[in-house]
Amino acid sequence: MTLKLEIVTPEEKVYSEDVDTVVLPTTTGEIGILPGHIPLITEIKEGELGVIRMGQLDLLAVDQGFAEIFGDTVSVITEAAIDIEDIDLDSAEAAQRRAEEALRKAKEENLHPDEVEALEAKIRFALVQQLAKKKGK
Amino acid sequence: MANLHDIRRRIKSVKNTAQITRAMQLVAASKMKRAQDAALASLPYAELLARILAPISKGVVNFSHPFLEAGRSNKRCIILLSTDRGLCGALNANLFRVLPDRAQEVKYITVGRKAAQFISRTQRILVADFILPDAFKISEARKVIDFAIQAFEDGSIGSVDVLYPRFVNTLRQVPELVPLLPLAGISKVLESLGVEKETQDDRELNFEPSAEVILTNLLPLYVRRQFYAMVRTAKASEHSARMVAMKTATDNANNLADSLTLDYNKARQAAITQEILEIAAATAANEN
Repeated sequence: MTLKLEIVTPEEKVYSEDVDTVVLPTTTGEIGILPGHIPLITEIKEGELGVIRMGQLDLLAVDQGFAEIFGDTVSVITEAAIDIEDIDLDSAEAAQRRAEEALRKAKEENLHPDEVEALEAKIRFALVQQLAKKKGK
Repeated sequence: MANLHDIRRRIKSVKNTAQITRAMQLVAASKMKRAQDAALASLPYAELLARILAPISKGVVNFSHPFLEAGRSNKRCIILLSTDRGLCGALNANLFRVLPDRAQEVKYITVGRKAAQFISRTQRILVADFILPDAFKISEARKVIDFAIQAFEDGSIGSVDVLYPRFVNTLRQVPELVPLLPLAGISKVLESLGVEKETQDDRELNFEPSAEVILTNLLPLYVRRQFYAMVRTAKASEHSARMVAMKTATDNANNLADSLTLDYNKARQAAITQEILEIAAATAANEN
């Protein structure tokens, strides 16, 4: 028995594979999903999503979102996701600095709240990437 | 026989037009590629969101949210996604043909200048108009959809539909009217996306932390994202339609230039023959 894990962001389908266990960072704490799990819809907070595949643990950094567990398929819908193997600490830090700078400016210029929200999301995801990467080392 | 000079002038002008339409075709083609890729890439996200919400809309959960209930007013509102610029074939015309007739009291929110012009010209009720530049960001889409949500929540409109050109392929764009609010119409959206739940699981659906929390966060996200996906599809349709229209224009101009060149050569030949005849006749007359 395997689980099918799908991770989808607005830009692309980041992940779609058969896995053994998924560990989701939900707003009420981490939950582990095994095949045969009851149907569940849950909210995900930014953090690390663990995937166990043939005894091997992979970690992905994900942003806020939702997960649906339905008939051995785990579908994660989030604003952004990246495999921690692919995280480049320098570029994540640079992205964070850029976003913070832009946010500071945006607040001075009284930009539309949506823009501010988008920038805050960028900072949040950059931070999550750094944390996950440092922990994964 | 037409004047040689006139024909030459026409050939030149037709060729100039062909050059311009060809340039526009190339620009549209490169934009089309990008717009199509973006539209296709955002499809899985929109599909998954709709799939998560599908059981909720069927009333599995006992939960009320303004988005799930029929509006207090019975006024319809249609968000019309057109283009800012013309020269995109029958795209907008096809879209406008689907609109309900003027007798019905429908409020319109338009995106793209062409729709705003059409709605005000036909004296329908235009409540807001937005423009649709090429780089239409989600934050801009949110202004549009938040305006509609606001009106829906304060009860001045009872339902929100979106009319947009759905992208089928480069040669085909179909006008499609999709109900967005209230969300009772979600199964129709699923159908239009071609999503069917492939795995059946009839055990009871659970929510964590609770259905209320999930739904209050998920529903606005769904409405915004769904709308943004439609905007992106409309963009892909626009560039495809423009590319095809400009290609047809270029081909027509080239054909016209060819047939004019033929006319020109015929006229030239006729003039030369005429001249030879005249000279020959003159010589013959002199010899006598």
